[in-house]
Amino acid sequence: MSDARRDPIERLIEALMRLPGIGPKTAARLAYYLLRAPEDVTSELVAALQELRVRVRYCRRCFNVSDGDLCAICADPERDPHTICVVEEPLDVVALERSGVYRGLYHVLHGVINPLENVGPEDLRLQELVERVRQGEVQEVILATNPTMEGEATAMYIARLLQPHGVRLTRLAHGLPVGGDLEYADQHTLARALEGRRPLHVR
Amino acid sequence: MYLQHLSLKNFRNYLRLELSLSAGITVLQGDNAQGKTNLLEAIVFLATSKSLRAHSDRELIHWLAHEREAIPFAEVSGEIQHNGDVTRLRLVLTQQQRANAQPSIRKTVAINGVRKRVLDLLGILPVVIFMPEDVLLIAGSPSLRRRYLNILLCQIDREYCRHLEAYNKVLVRRNAQLRDLQGRQPDPHLLAYWDEALINHGAYLLHKRQAVLSRLDELARAHHTTLAPQQGRLRVVYRPALPIENTPAAEAHQLSLPLPQELAHPPHPVWSVEQWRALFTTALENARKEELSAGVTLLGPHRDDVMFLLDGQDVRLYGSRGQQRTVALALKLAEVQVITEALNTSPILLLDDVMSELDAQRRHRVLDLVAQVPQAILTTTDWADFTPEFLAQAQCLEVHDGVLRPVTPV
Repeated sequence: MSDARRDPIERLIEALMRLPGIGPKTAARLAYYLLRAPEDVTSELVAALQELRVRVRYCRRCFNVSDGDLCAICADPERDPHTICVVEEPLDVVALERSGVYRGLYHVLHGVINPLENVGPEDLRLQELVERVRQGEVQEVILATNPTMEGEATAMYIARLLQPHGVRLTRLAHGLPVGGDLEYADQHTLARALEGRRPLHVR
Repeated sequence: MYLQHLSLKNFRNYLRLELSLSAGITVLQGDNAQGKTNLLEAIVFLATSKSLRAHSDRELIHWLAHEREAIPFAEVSGEIQHNGDVTRLRLVLTQQQRANAQPSIRKTVAINGVRKRVLDLLGILPVVIFMPEDVLLIAGSPSLRRRYLNILLCQIDREYCRHLEAYNKVLVRRNAQLRDLQGRQPDPHLLAYWDEALINHGAYLLHKRQAVLSRLDELARAHHTTLAPQQGRLRVVYRPALPIENTPAAEAHQLSLPLPQELAHPPHPVWSVEQWRALFTTALENARKEELSAGVTLLGPHRDDVMFLLDGQDVRLYGSRGQQRTVALALKLAEVQVITEALNTSPILLLDDVMSELDAQRRHRVLDLVAQVPQAILTTTDWADFTPEFLAQAQCLEVHDGVLRPVTPV
């Protein structure tokens, strides 16, 4: 059946259900809300969605979302070009930036190696990362993929890929949340935190 | 330690059941298909979170619950009495409706009313079940023996359960990766993480399986000698799916030869996790080419087996059904001891209609054990399987179509 002949509400519900985190109930609620909402709510949404595809581009260096050729971080002369932090998604950049601690550059992979979903290295921005490292300015690559099996597998893959280039390779530490309580940490996290303990320097 | 109360909702053929149990012996009588095994299965389910017979957990939910309940569910809860303390366990299965997909089953666990992980349930209510199907542990496929080892080890070692879960997750992903690489120019870095994870979790499984089997070997041999002194010397031999040097049993078995050397050699020493890790690493390296062309993980604990030998002869291939039964019984008796040693408390014994197939001497042996443990629950179709003296000291129940009532057998 062609899209035009389908029930428009049904069509919208199904379109919404393809979005992450949205199940049938939420999709139906959103669809019926949009049906009754004032005209400007829907027209603003349509315009925003369309603009998204037209205006937003990826930074040619780090592949973070950007409205120009280079993203704001790559274009910032204050950022340290010797360090690259490799993340899975643009949202991870936002999270790390919120910490306000990191002063280096990023590299967004747009995914992880996931054999179950048939995502291989060729589907990620990996060759571009190798190319950036090969150019010689980079001294350290921080592997900040998620601590899931797929994230760990991707981190190890990248580490092995970059090892011959003689850069310092680091992985984000796993462990206890700040302000957390030891007794509430699960055993897995505690074990990781113990493995990753550091000497305490008393001055 | 004993189970003082069991309550079931929509479990198998029980719509609702509230059953108070006493310490000591309980005998459950009923015709076939009335719910004897289902009751024991409920207890095993509460203890291990695994069903005995079902292929999917969905089968555990009473068929009427699918029509009558707003959300189909099954619930097993129990109160465990342990030195005056009562622990309440609750395990609930709910059917989740999913858009455009098969309904899935969710398991939730509560201990003393507090939501916990399924893993936290294990080992609180140790059980050993004896049933006619035990003979399949000897005569059946290797997957049954692996399942048996997993359930036993999960009851006595949570770390094992955690590694097993992780191993299975890694295995699925590694297989997908191998399948994806099949027939392509292999990228050596792609398998690195999956290899390492497989080896890390696998080495723990290998070590624990070998350790528990070496203990079972010793204990089962002693039981077997008492049960059937003329049938030869029993050996329980671990057969990991890894190329191991210096094990004559390995090659001889492949040629289906008897194993005279095996009798002269003491059991293999138990290797450490580190030793297994080294062995597994080398084996995977050597099998790389084969695995890439097969597109599947060829080595590791998911392909393990256990061999039972009587005077060096493989009982699975050459033993009579009677010999296989005796070996299975010796194994289960050894299992009771292994659990007692590991947890420092006797497991609850569940005996599903096993009396009828045992001869007088073995019946005696099993009933001896039953009398020693804090709690045993036996099922039978016929009260005549037991002596009046035995029944006089037991709590006797009759089951009919999923309903229980206390009786005094005549």
